[in-house]
Amino acid sequence: MTRIVQAELMRFGRRRTVLLAGLGALGYALLATFTVINGAKATGVASRQSGTTLAMLSGHGGGTQAFAVGASFVGFFIFVIFIALMATEFSGGTFRALLLRDPHRRRLIVGKLLGLLLVAAAVVATAEVLSFGLSLLVAPSKHIATSAWMSWGGLGAGLHDYATVFGGIVGWAIFGTTLGVIFRSAPIALGVGFAWAGPFENIVSRSWGTGYRIFPGQVLDSLIRGGTIELGMARAVFTAMIYAAVAGAVALTLVSRRDVTA
Amino acid sequence: MTETALSVHGLTKRYGGRTVVDGLDLTLPSGVVAGFIGPNGAGKTTTMAMLLGLVRPSAGSGTVLGGSIDAPAAYLSRVGALVESPAFYPALSGADNLHLFAIVGGHDPAQIPELLDRVGLALRGDDKYRSYSLGMKQRLGIAAALLGDPELLILDEPANGLDPQGVREMRTLVGSLAGSGRTVLVSSHDLSELEQVCDWLVLIEAGRSVYQGPTRDLLSGTAGSLAVVPEKSKDRRLLRSVLSQHGHRVEPQENRLVVDIDGADPLSVAARVNRAAFEAGIVLAELTPLRTSLEDRYLALVNEGGDR
Repeated sequence: MTRIVQAELMRFGRRRTVLLAGLGALGYALLATFTVINGAKATGVASRQSGTTLAMLSGHGGGTQAFAVGASFVGFFIFVIFIALMATEFSGGTFRALLLRDPHRRRLIVGKLLGLLLVAAAVVATAEVLSFGLSLLVAPSKHIATSAWMSWGGLGAGLHDYATVFGGIVGWAIFGTTLGVIFRSAPIALGVGFAWAGPFENIVSRSWGTGYRIFPGQVLDSLIRGGTIELGMARAVFTAMIYAAVAGAVALTLVSRRDVTA
Repeated sequence: MTETALSVHGLTKRYGGRTVVDGLDLTLPSGVVAGFIGPNGAGKTTTMAMLLGLVRPSAGSGTVLGGSIDAPAAYLSRVGALVESPAFYPALSGADNLHLFAIVGGHDPAQIPELLDRVGLALRGDDKYRSYSLGMKQRLGIAAALLGDPELLILDEPANGLDPQGVREMRTLVGSLAGSGRTVLVSSHDLSELEQVCDWLVLIEAGRSVYQGPTRDLLSGTAGSLAVVPEKSKDRRLLRSVLSQHGHRVEPQENRLVVDIDGADPLSVAARVNRAAFEAGIVLAELTPLRTSLEDRYLALVNEGGDR
């Protein structure tokens, strides 16, 4: 397992990839920070509908609020990336070629997932740090107090935001991996993933509120947001774990039983 | 090292109602360069995939390097393979791809420069894989197969898609992989390609073995006739007459005479023909056994439907 993780880190640890990932994290931090802080309302309560308030930004978690709020998009982005990377492993034949070096199929797919998640963890951490720094720079212009950000409470809120965002990312990554394994074709898997997590879940949920509590994508969205009005954090974590376990079991079963012919 | 590199019995693979490999029995001694020959769709790739644990057999059993094919992890670390087409990460260089595969396989990356040199990619190792020609991709695939200095190499149509120069280079490369007790199983549907480098042949048709054994056994005694050409063309009629008088069946064919061997030893018949011509004062410019080609032998075996 360690060797497979190491190989994935080598694959994505090249200078160009690191630079691109860093630029992506910076772009995300810039977009999220300026959008959230500039769009913060003077009053109101936080929810999926009402968004961030200036009071929230002055609290312990204000420094990483922009990072956390914008992370909903990151989850879907991670979903797409994992679908593409995993499906291409099969359609491109590299999974077959790697199996000739390490024939333990489940170990190979889990190792790849872990390696990619480590890369994602580093990129997300970078994005959070950058977003925090940018928030510190922008806050004075909006008269947002930042003293609470630098306290132990601020550190705890930052770690909590990181944990919830990364937890959601792990879920999206497992779903993406599962779709890649099922379809073994990036265009087909991406098409299905887009259609389900994009239009289907959102359209149905708008007319059927229960969808926010049961659809996998909506559950992960709630998890990344640290819980929503529709689905509390504890319930989101529990439901997401069940979905992730089922998706992981499907992926591992298919990987271990199917012939590798591509 | 075992004396038998691999041995399978009744190996079968069915996809739905279609049988791709049909009760294949196959034994390969250690240290041979074995050609795995059959037309497209004969079951070569599927057989190799089953030996490598990529495809699960529907029936049958066997061992590879002493390990059961039901547990390929037991022997795959000692097997190098290139199955179907080479598959690498396009954005990585050839050397980085080998490094990645070495990490996954637990092999020493220090051997990579030597492997690149061996397959003729020493100067292109740092170029991205996506920039490689088909021949270079195939050669990188062989370099990857050689990671860890495997006891058994399984190469699936390594010359597939290459131009004539590439085919020749690949043939030389495959021939050079033999030795040091290493066993090589290389498949192709191009019989002439393998005839020149293999000392063992496995011929299959529709998923069944039609021949397996030493190349020389398959081709020995297959010289069905001799081509005889006199130095002076005006002697051709006299030579035909002389040879007929000595009991040979002779047919003129273009600018030469073709003497039927009729199952006899080609060398002794050639000596008798040469002696008869010499005694008649005729100098021979050519006296050549006309061998039946591997292709002819293959087609004959397929038509016989035999499984030797």
